[in-house]
Amino acid sequence: MSGDETVKGVILLRRKDLGGRDVASWRVYKPVVDGEKCVKCGLCAGYCPEAAITMGEEGPVLDLRFCKGCGVCANECPAKAIAMEKEA
Amino acid sequence: MGEFDVMAGNKAVAHGARLARVEVVPVFPITPQTTIVEYLADFIADGLLDAEYIQSEGEHSCLGMAVGASLTGARTFTATCSQGLAYMHEVVAQATSYRTPLVMAVANRTLGWYWSIGPDYTDVMPEINLGWIQSFVESNQEALDMTLQLYKVAEDRRVMLPAMLNLDGFYLSYSQERVELPEQEAVDEWLPPYEAPFPIDPTVGDSWSTNLVPQRLHTTYRRLLEEVLRDSEAVIREVGEGFATAFGRGYGGLVERYRCDDADSVLVTMGSMTTAARRAVDRLRAGGERIGLVKLRFMRPFPHQELAEIAGQVDAIGVVDRAVLHGTGGGLAFTDVKSSLYNLEDGPPVVNFVAGMGGDDISIDDFQAMGRSVLRTAETGRIDQEVRYIEHEAPPPPEPVKLDWDQPVYPGSDGCAGCGSSIIFRHLMKVLGEETIVINPPSCATINYNPVSKAPMILANYAAGAAFETGVYRALRKKGKADKVYLTSFSGDGGTVDIGLQSISAAAERGESFIWVCYDNEAYMNTGVQRSSSTPMFAHTTSTPVGEVWRGKPQRRKDMVMIMAAHRIPYIATASLAYLPDLERKFRRAAEVTRAGRGLAYIHVQQPCATGWYFPEEKTVEVARLAVQTGAWPLVEVEDGLVKLNIKPRELKPIGDYLKLQRRFRHLSEEQISLLQEEVNRDWERWLSLERLGKLPWY
Repeated sequence: MSGDETVKGVILLRRKDLGGRDVASWRVYKPVVDGEKCVKCGLCAGYCPEAAITMGEEGPVLDLRFCKGCGVCANECPAKAIAMEKEA
Repeated sequence: MGEFDVMAGNKAVAHGARLARVEVVPVFPITPQTTIVEYLADFIADGLLDAEYIQSEGEHSCLGMAVGASLTGARTFTATCSQGLAYMHEVVAQATSYRTPLVMAVANRTLGWYWSIGPDYTDVMPEINLGWIQSFVESNQEALDMTLQLYKVAEDRRVMLPAMLNLDGFYLSYSQERVELPEQEAVDEWLPPYEAPFPIDPTVGDSWSTNLVPQRLHTTYRRLLEEVLRDSEAVIREVGEGFATAFGRGYGGLVERYRCDDADSVLVTMGSMTTAARRAVDRLRAGGERIGLVKLRFMRPFPHQELAEIAGQVDAIGVVDRAVLHGTGGGLAFTDVKSSLYNLEDGPPVVNFVAGMGGDDISIDDFQAMGRSVLRTAETGRIDQEVRYIEHEAPPPPEPVKLDWDQPVYPGSDGCAGCGSSIIFRHLMKVLGEETIVINPPSCATINYNPVSKAPMILANYAAGAAFETGVYRALRKKGKADKVYLTSFSGDGGTVDIGLQSISAAAERGESFIWVCYDNEAYMNTGVQRSSSTPMFAHTTSTPVGEVWRGKPQRRKDMVMIMAAHRIPYIATASLAYLPDLERKFRRAAEVTRAGRGLAYIHVQQPCATGWYFPEEKTVEVARLAVQTGAWPLVEVEDGLVKLNIKPRELKPIGDYLKLQRRFRHLSEEQISLLQEEVNRDWERWLSLERLGKLPWY
């Protein structure tokens, strides 16, 4: 949040100051994709509540900064290509 | 001698109400008061308290229920704070004029920037001059004891006024302290049942209090109310002394003096911050400074007499406020004390410290500095600074992650792991894009997505979500922007089916052309899983708990599709996060209908909630899918009155498949499960028959 020189005491949210929310420290388990089993259906990316999974050319791309380890992706994957592994 | 336990202030208050054998308890949740009414639900559900419990649809109604019950002669209790208390405001005034001796606990929370849950007294400020007895407690024990004392004071014929018990949110409401629970027999002896003098029950009496007073007599009745508040001082002292005799705990009368005997100056405080102030006084005294402390236990009636006595003995008074009367320069207690002492001859200088706003902690060091400042004023006789704000630095908020991201919602959020609302919100905003305004009545979404949404999200007052949206819509339309900016709500079930229903109904009737999206997790989740009228029958929630006497929510859920269809709006749909193409198609259709200016488009999406339905978070989508496949959540569309059932499984799976995954249903008997199965089957047939009907006849 920020202020504005012209209006004393106003509290603003500026679009340029927004960004992703790093939640990596929340998780206990993390998803691991088996590329051999993956059929690139895109359901994991569609269902991920945090958009930590996006679909790339080669298949799902995981940005683990945004993953809470909820396991929805692994639960929904029709090819059983995602396993939840305990973080080291 | 009762039993000791360690408990939060909210639990102490709930025990107080239970021991007082309250008869009617209307409730509505709001942090940090909520658990008071949850404990009361547990007591009643387990047969420990015999009382009517009413899950109201909103605070204005809640206090209306309390006044109604008290008028009819029942001993009544309720609790609220902050926005909820503000929403009750006009009924607060009515409780006084009807002379209803009800007791309301206020777990004080700021009435400043909406989404702050920390304690200060800005919430009680607008209510303090409406004629209620106003008490402030310092500890959880005092909270329990005060609950009992307030009933005895309020119901006394010399008083017959409603009473507010103010306890600091979090510092008392959610902090554990050692509390002694008096024995029920001892309380029964000291506090007999309420005998209302003029109950509105025509079989009991033939008089009842009225609010209708001729204009010429208002000034007289105002004077009389002031006299009653003056008279109540004696009652407060009597009750306090009687309590001390019966239960062994005395707190002084309207004020407590701490180390004031040979003090040159005093600090004046109220509430839980008093404890830190005491320690600061001890430190200053140890250093040879002659300073004392005055704790205001009651602010209405205002302790003029006690303050005048103290003023005669000291050379300076420093009033510590947790409330600012905007526009006057200072705080609430300061203004009260200063004006009370103004006409005294040779009154001491009075200074003000504004501290602890929004729940900011006021440390013993802070109080020591305030004490030294007052002592300096006493020494010099000069006021250097009449009002001083005790401010602290804040740690910087977490840095957002900068990344290339073309979607309207950045990745990550503050939602629970596996949150279904996040899935829904991302797909909604994917369809609408970032040139959208999102109206958000208070709900989990407010916490989760504000920091990551490129589209502005505006927190609207709970009962006014569709009203805020209407205002935005009309301004957009006036400026020729209604077809250039999408306008949607993102609301929970509370803000849709209960407290928000009035303004949605009005917007639908007027034909406002915007989208209403309800993400329905079937309870008030953000305040900790209390029932809404969208909670399914038999579900456990914290306000419909499972106990000896209660077996979950007894009522069926409200049918919002038919309620909105009764308004004849152009587009209505239910949707599921397990059926994403159907969900997105419906969002797109809503966008088209509203952009064309045809009226309200209403979409009701089920949101399984691992936290509140008690299932493992990886099953969010699985539970949503089962809801559709068992018929628990039919996917329907009503477009210009034409009903369509979108997904028709060849055979509905048994409802047990859906219920058994959720521990909110784990108590269900075979009988309850078959009742639910019958209901699902009936509803399914109903949808099929409406589909066959063609257009709904009233469209």
